[in-house]
Amino acid sequence: MSATDPRTDPTTPEIASEMLEPKRQNPAQTGQAGQQQDVSAKPDATMLPRSGLTVTLQALKAFYGDVEQVKGIDLEFRSSEVTAIIGPSGCGKSTMIRCINRMHEEIPGARAEGKVLLDELDVYDPSIDVVAVRRAIGMVFQKPNPFPTMSVFDNVAAGLRLSSGKAGDLEHRVESALRGAGLWDEVSDRLSEPGAGLSGGQQQRLCIARSLAVEPEVILMDEPCSALDPIATLKIEELIDQLKRRVTIVIVTHNMQQAARVADRTAFMLGGELVEVGATEKIFTTPEDSRTEEYVTGKFG
Amino acid sequence: MSTEANAGRAAGLTGAQGRQHFQQQLAELEARALGTLDVVVEQLDRTLEALAHQDVELAQMVIADDDRVDGRYLEVHQGILSLLATQAPVAGDLRLVAALLHVIVHVERMGDQCVNIAKLIPLSGYEPPVRPEVLETILKMGAHARSEVVQCKASFSGRDIALAEDLARQDREINRLNREIFNTALEIGDDPDTREWAMHMILVARALERIGDNAVDVGEQVAFVVTGLFREFSDQANSLDA
Amino acid sequence: MSTPTHSLQRFELTSARRRKDRLARGSIVAATVVALIPLALIVYYLLSKGLGSWSWNFFTTDPTGNTFFAKQSIGGVKSAILGTIEIVALAALLAVPIGVGVAVWLVEYGRDGRFAQLVRFFVDVLTGVPSIMFGLFVYIVLIAGTGSSYAAYKGSFALALLMLPVVTRSAEVVLMLVPAALRESALALGAPRWKVIARIVLPTALPGLVTGVLLAIARAAGETAPLLFTAAATFKTSFSLSGFMNSLPVQIYNDVTSPTTAVVNRAWGAALALVSMILLLNLFARLVSRRSSIG
Repeated sequence: MSATDPRTDPTTPEIASEMLEPKRQNPAQTGQAGQQQDVSAKPDATMLPRSGLTVTLQALKAFYGDVEQVKGIDLEFRSSEVTAIIGPSGCGKSTMIRCINRMHEEIPGARAEGKVLLDELDVYDPSIDVVAVRRAIGMVFQKPNPFPTMSVFDNVAAGLRLSSGKAGDLEHRVESALRGAGLWDEVSDRLSEPGAGLSGGQQQRLCIARSLAVEPEVILMDEPCSALDPIATLKIEELIDQLKRRVTIVIVTHNMQQAARVADRTAFMLGGELVEVGATEKIFTTPEDSRTEEYVTGKFG
Repeated sequence: MSTEANAGRAAGLTGAQGRQHFQQQLAELEARALGTLDVVVEQLDRTLEALAHQDVELAQMVIADDDRVDGRYLEVHQGILSLLATQAPVAGDLRLVAALLHVIVHVERMGDQCVNIAKLIPLSGYEPPVRPEVLETILKMGAHARSEVVQCKASFSGRDIALAEDLARQDREINRLNREIFNTALEIGDDPDTREWAMHMILVARALERIGDNAVDVGEQVAFVVTGLFREFSDQANSLDA
Repeated sequence: MSTPTHSLQRFELTSARRRKDRLARGSIVAATVVALIPLALIVYYLLSKGLGSWSWNFFTTDPTGNTFFAKQSIGGVKSAILGTIEIVALAALLAVPIGVGVAVWLVEYGRDGRFAQLVRFFVDVLTGVPSIMFGLFVYIVLIAGTGSSYAAYKGSFALALLMLPVVTRSAEVVLMLVPAALRESALALGAPRWKVIARIVLPTALPGLVTGVLLAIARAAGETAPLLFTAAATFKTSFSLSGFMNSLPVQIYNDVTSPTTAVVNRAWGAALALVSMILLLNLFARLVSRRSSIG
């Protein structure tokens, strides 16, 4: 193990990728961690076998009662990558990502068919505990919603306390998560103040910290910046860029410029179907499908 | 294309109606850029006529009129910057804008080549020792160059890759003629005035050959706009230039 | 009517408009005053007739049952006050957990299902049932039917039945006000549903729940009819819930018809005491809800 444990070292930098590593540090790679890590330390030193997991959708369908909203999707979200889902309103992109962490079925009358593989494991398998799935696949919503009765600290710790896992070593895990979300400097002196007292952008980062605290492998983001001002949006985009090394990120967005800035791969959905998926650069310079071309150039949507 | 586009429309959306203002701006920009090729053709015609009749005044007009080409260049350039900043074009639109940027540079160069030719005309004096066969070859080259310019414009506005690739074939002819002029000039004889005129003709030929190359370059942009891939059309590197 | 010659004329405040405004204002104020008059009168009578009976004795001695001999002390209403507190406390203990539980089920699990709609319907019906019915029901089931005696806890039952639909209704409303987004976030963190309810939904709804409960208690405290058939009054202070117990409404009921003036005055004093207790409870409910409106 490294001589300087990031959990207790107060000068540990805020680079997200380092913050979640103490629990899973790979002994084979700590050779260079024998000394103090400085701010410019390469995050890759903490790369470890389970850095984010690949999520694969196989023939995924989603229904609201009898209405088929998602019509059979095969799609892969690769680890340590950001994948953006774009498409016009009503195309099913939000429904689809809610199937990934099995939130879709919480709606009365809603159901899903097909497989969602987290690495090799089908999360829809009847023997799987849905609560454990949601611990591994976190979600950030469009409108920042910190728990109103809780302080900043309690909000971040909420995930740990609410889910079935052990909640040991709370303070350090909360600090890690807040650093991971790039929020520590701004709130370290107000941990006991109500979470709802922060600005919109800070609240959203608080929600991200809350999700990070349970150390998920995947984070789903459903239009996380659409309620925020441009500066807050930029901060979160930078954050996503840092987080992706540790966590597979899937982001649904209406804003194509955002998808272009933030995502490694982009998938275009239309009418519940997957039209095209590919490297973001390709989708925005030379898309293959004419529907994709029409959508990204703004001819509809 | 139509069934897929219809699927897009069937998804409850308005079809090719979005961003009309932007599409209009883009179309106008393309028209301005391609329209400059018409100006270049005019310039080329006048240049060749000035060459044929040793018309110094016509040559002066060509030199003065290059300001029009330069003006168009600045105009289109500014239009491109404005479009990039305000509309953030992507995909096909982005490729078109990038291509127009290249095109307008090539067109401006063509204009400059005409000026180069025009500048050479007064240097030969009012009664140069013209060798008819050389002049004829030059004028043939000029005709080819003119046809290439016209064709590159047609290929771009029609997004016709086949037409664009044909330019490479035509360009080989110009290159051949260029080599011919060069070889003829080498053996033109001992008279210093004749030799001087022949040197000028070599330079004229080279300028015409450059116009051809620029037209081929415009054709390459056509392929880029359509396919997103950029490749060199001809083996220009292999032609024996002066 | 008149076409404005100058564009600014259409902004002008005409005298017709002014008159209409004054008329409307006037009628609303008048209505308010009319509504307030009975309220003011009640308060006035309560104060003027009741305040006079208040004394240290009034609050610290039990009624003695001597109502015909004015010379002897008639006693105070201590047992009634304590009795009301005991009976209502037990009723609350019974009604609140069940009421909140039903509300939680309705909002979190039943939602729009057929059974849930049925439950809601019946809860609504029960809020309108006259309070005497609850008293009669408990009387028939627990007293006349089984041959056992009146008891305080049976009065509590009756009051609990009265409170139940009220608590359920107000709790349901408050729980529905908790934004769905909060539940979603909690679920998405990997929390089992019961924890979401217990740790997130209920704490968020707590101020509203407390307010609702306090108001239900305030209402139950003033009900006379259920207690008449179930608790039976006694004069002595009692702490045994299985025996007879006095209560303020019953005490008032009995005293008001007495020929002795002092006793009647005592009734007014008791009424004032009851109203004051309810007032305090209401104020407390307000404080709680105002203090905890976060976000």
